[in-house]
Amino acid sequence: MSISLNRRRVVITGLSVVSPLGNTIADLTHNIFSGVSGIKLLDAEFVDKLDCKIAAQAHFDPTDHFSKHTYGMLDRTSQMALHTSIEAIKDASLEITDQLKPRMGVYLGTGMGGANSVEEAYIRLYRDNASRLKPFTVLMGMNNAAAAAIGLEHQLTGPNLTFSTACSSSSVAIGEASRQIRHGYADVMLAGGSESLLTFGTIKAWEALRTLAEQDVNDLTSSCKPFSADRTGMVLGEGAAMMVLESYEHAIARGATIYAEILGYGSASDSAHITKPSVDGQAITIQTAILDADIPSEAIQYINAHGTGTMLNDVTESNAIKKAFGDHAYNLSISSTKSMHGHLMGATGALEAIITTLAVYNNKLPPTINLSNPDPECDLDYVPNVAKTLPRLNYAMSNSFAFGGTGASLIFKKIN
Amino acid sequence: MTTPTLDEVAQALSQMVADKMDIDVASIKPDSSLQSLGLDSLDTFDLIFSAEDHFKIKVPNDQIKIETLHDVSVLVHKLTIEQNK
Repeated sequence: MSISLNRRRVVITGLSVVSPLGNTIADLTHNIFSGVSGIKLLDAEFVDKLDCKIAAQAHFDPTDHFSKHTYGMLDRTSQMALHTSIEAIKDASLEITDQLKPRMGVYLGTGMGGANSVEEAYIRLYRDNASRLKPFTVLMGMNNAAAAAIGLEHQLTGPNLTFSTACSSSSVAIGEASRQIRHGYADVMLAGGSESLLTFGTIKAWEALRTLAEQDVNDLTSSCKPFSADRTGMVLGEGAAMMVLESYEHAIARGATIYAEILGYGSASDSAHITKPSVDGQAITIQTAILDADIPSEAIQYINAHGTGTMLNDVTESNAIKKAFGDHAYNLSISSTKSMHGHLMGATGALEAIITTLAVYNNKLPPTINLSNPDPECDLDYVPNVAKTLPRLNYAMSNSFAFGGTGASLIFKKIN
Repeated sequence: MTTPTLDEVAQALSQMVADKMDIDVASIKPDSSLQSLGLDSLDTFDLIFSAEDHFKIKVPNDQIKIETLHDVSVLVHKLTIEQNK
């Protein structure tokens, strides 16, 4: 078998989510275009010990989907990832033949991997003074556990890699997976992300960084306010999002339904500060994706922003968009759907990539909710509060930026 | 604590296997091999771990030479007598 380095087209043929806005693509589609918030009071026994008591939780019960023997060996992060892999393959109507298995891989993003299992182990050791840990602790906690579980379930023997670049992890995973197909190393890839870090220890660690949103006194579901003058920070979320990517030829040959094409991917590093985002770094990330897509920047019509809702991110990202697009920045529509689904950390890029894909597929732009008091320093069109319909959405971008400085931008194209 | 009988140990272990593997406890025979019950090496470690918790014993690494559920019952029963003295 020879590997061709010719550039092949990469298309999206399957989607699945476990998210604060629903666990089906139909529910997600309805909620993002209706401006529904998935942010609520955190349902956890330790909530009273938190300063920040709100979160965007996914309603996912592993007993609905797996045997005890299966879910008992998996952290919640892996359970959600495995479930979305099964559903994405179903959505793609993809039959995984023996011939396909070595040509199909798994690229997954996660920030903290099996955070629940690690924390449970520490509770056992340090609080309960246990002298030993459960035999599965390493296997449940390791960062590549979710990708490994997916590979095992579907017996995929192509490349299986886990990307951990904090908030951009799963955008990087999708971008790198598209390159595996583009350059002929694989024909089909499962690409996405998973994160479940709403543990007492992790939330406390986030509180200490002083980046979490304050609870809105009138309506706690409105606490995340990207690009708004009164924004106070991000809201932590959890979930998983998975795409089936395949070469255009492979998809056409089997008569698959195509949601959109992945036309470009760019990744760059700020290398400026561990947390403070850089206009230059973000602009280079965006420009690299446009170069990769080989389209004029004016072709982009919509950007799903990283849009965390922190004071610093939203101004920096707005300025980076202006730097990358020039005057066209003012023609673009931009939204932060984190206002609805919160920040899913290592899974957020994949969820937003799916939302951007749904935008292209439906010619519809999801809104930035809770935006009635715009920040004068954020003076672009952020699709405030209400979804917008376009006659035709041909090209859209999804941005992810991260602590540590690794940025990733993906460009999606409508299939004619 | 009173030392459990071999039968009591076997019953408790059968229940643990049934819970872990999602199988009917009635289908588990004392002389069933762990492999036939669906347990791989990791599941076996997990079963031993649960038995250690339940019977307040410690199973030394060099004593995990087991093939059937009966082997586990005999080992655990022996250790409950030795370690609960």
